[in-house]
Amino acid sequence: MNWLYQFPFKLNIDTAAIDDAVRSFAVNNEAILQFMRRGLNGLLSSIHSTLDFIPWWILVIVVFVLGFLQTKKIKTGIVYAVMLFSIGAVGLWPLMLLTLSIVIASVAISLLLGFPIGVLISMNDRASSIVRPILDTMQTMPVFVYLIPAVLLFGLGRVPAVMATTIYAIVPIVRLTNLGIRQVNEEVVEAAKSFGSTRIQAMVKVQIPQAFATIMAGLNQTLMMAMAMVVTASMIGASGLGMEVLISVNRVEVGRGLVSGTAVVILAILLDRLSQGWVKDKEEEA
Amino acid sequence: MNMKKLITILAISLLALAGCAPSTGSGSGHIVMADAGWDSIRLHNHVVGFIAENAFDLTWSEMTGSTPITYEAFKNGEIDVYTEFWTENVAPYRGDVESGVILELGVNFNDNYQGIYVPRYVIEGDAARGIEPMAPNLRTVKDLLDYPDLFVDEEEPSKGRIYGGIPGWAVDEILYKKFMAYGFDDTFIYFRPGSDAALSAAIISAYDRGEPIAAYYWEPTWLMAQYDLVLLEDEPFDADRFHEGLTEFGAADVTVAARKGFDTEFPEFTEFLSNYSTSSAMTSAALLHMQVSGDDYLNSAKWFLREYDEYLDQWLTAEQAEAVRQALN
Repeated sequence: MNWLYQFPFKLNIDTAAIDDAVRSFAVNNEAILQFMRRGLNGLLSSIHSTLDFIPWWILVIVVFVLGFLQTKKIKTGIVYAVMLFSIGAVGLWPLMLLTLSIVIASVAISLLLGFPIGVLISMNDRASSIVRPILDTMQTMPVFVYLIPAVLLFGLGRVPAVMATTIYAIVPIVRLTNLGIRQVNEEVVEAAKSFGSTRIQAMVKVQIPQAFATIMAGLNQTLMMAMAMVVTASMIGASGLGMEVLISVNRVEVGRGLVSGTAVVILAILLDRLSQGWVKDKEEEA
Repeated sequence: MNMKKLITILAISLLALAGCAPSTGSGSGHIVMADAGWDSIRLHNHVVGFIAENAFDLTWSEMTGSTPITYEAFKNGEIDVYTEFWTENVAPYRGDVESGVILELGVNFNDNYQGIYVPRYVIEGDAARGIEPMAPNLRTVKDLLDYPDLFVDEEEPSKGRIYGGIPGWAVDEILYKKFMAYGFDDTFIYFRPGSDAALSAAIISAYDRGEPIAAYYWEPTWLMAQYDLVLLEDEPFDADRFHEGLTEFGAADVTVAARKGFDTEFPEFTEFLSNYSTSSAMTSAALLHMQVSGDDYLNSAKWFLREYDEYLDQWLTAEQAEAVRQALN
């Protein structure tokens, strides 16, 4: 009767073999891995040096202008500008730029990979049924499970941080691109086809523009997810605001943690509002 | 209909919950030990826990969390005992002991090493793996200054990289001061690895590839027992100048600590914890045993107690030691 309460057998998975496989993969594919590392490093460096090149007050003004144009309210522009200014005022400006460069790189990669995948799975149910469980896995697999292999393959620093962030943040853009395109009224698509559109033409000229709002909502979510990974990324050595949070939390310095944590929140709010506003503008144009 | 279904489901889950309620142990008390996330503290927990069960008729469990989280729980009395407290790594510890918020019961071990390590093949080469010596004259931390090109930082290829302390650990601050004081700033990047798991992975990854790496690490750890790394020499230890980063690391005090009031509730067990003293070498040996044999913590703790049987007489009364020995066999 024991098996009623206890599992009758136990499979012994050879986890050591998996360890060895990952590690020998890292050793044997050093050339490819190095190529990827260098490429990502180059991308990150150029984003960061561009951001670093812009004087702080220009960024503050840009945020003010964007905020104003978006809402047509001077007050909103001022609030946004003051928020960004306050990050610099507490001495976190250079760290914010580091964080921002990781977020921008991750969102760019997510968009480049995620958008085509989303379009693909909206066109093909079979692809959709394969990709969706993968997306579920990417979203729910505890981060450290793939962070450590990422470190074994790509070393410590911002490269594995971008990888981990992308794995987590790419999901909404894929999902919402797929959803948006599938939600486009079938009669509209039929109409396009009856006027002689090919499938590709219907997709590019009708379905994607119709789904634009949903796709942009996905991009906005991707951005927010990338911001949410900031502290986790620091656990594998990506410097920036997340590292500041990590240091203060590890030292039980609640105040310092709150200051750097607030800077993360401010950056996230600004990115969220500005990207959403941009979406609304585009919608009105459409 | 739906309402009925809902009530049925609720009733069943309540019943299930009632069935799951933990049965209270028959022992005379329950001890919660901190599992702050590394191997040796878990090993010591299991050794102490095994003794608690068999010599003191106490039950025990671990509470897992990061160092700062478990430390807060410890101060609040949710955790009773820390078997391996790295006093250097928690800034408020000394003050809290002095003000009586927590009790320092004794020193678990203080013969440990920490500092900047490089793999042995960096200095001596490794004929078996076909690795030429890369820095045959590397002896001290300051010698690293000659090798920024060897320990190159991929993110900033014009500079070298030294893997520093885990953010928030006291060593991180001291290492950074050392980094600045020795003039590494011009040619090296001080790289904070973010977490100890990440640091370990970085060292293993470099070691597998036979690449050079200069990183902070500490002993006793299974990693040090398994991989051949050399601790770089530094200026002789001096308590005052050490905090400015100017000397080598002295052995850190790794203590056994308990929450406030624990000594009055469990006087006999506190007596044992005060006597509980091992060494870095013993801990390393047990960690290596665990890594090689694949034993779990409990079996490794038993191995530890059998291997160092004579210590039982130092820690425990004759009667208690006998009870532990009987349980081991």
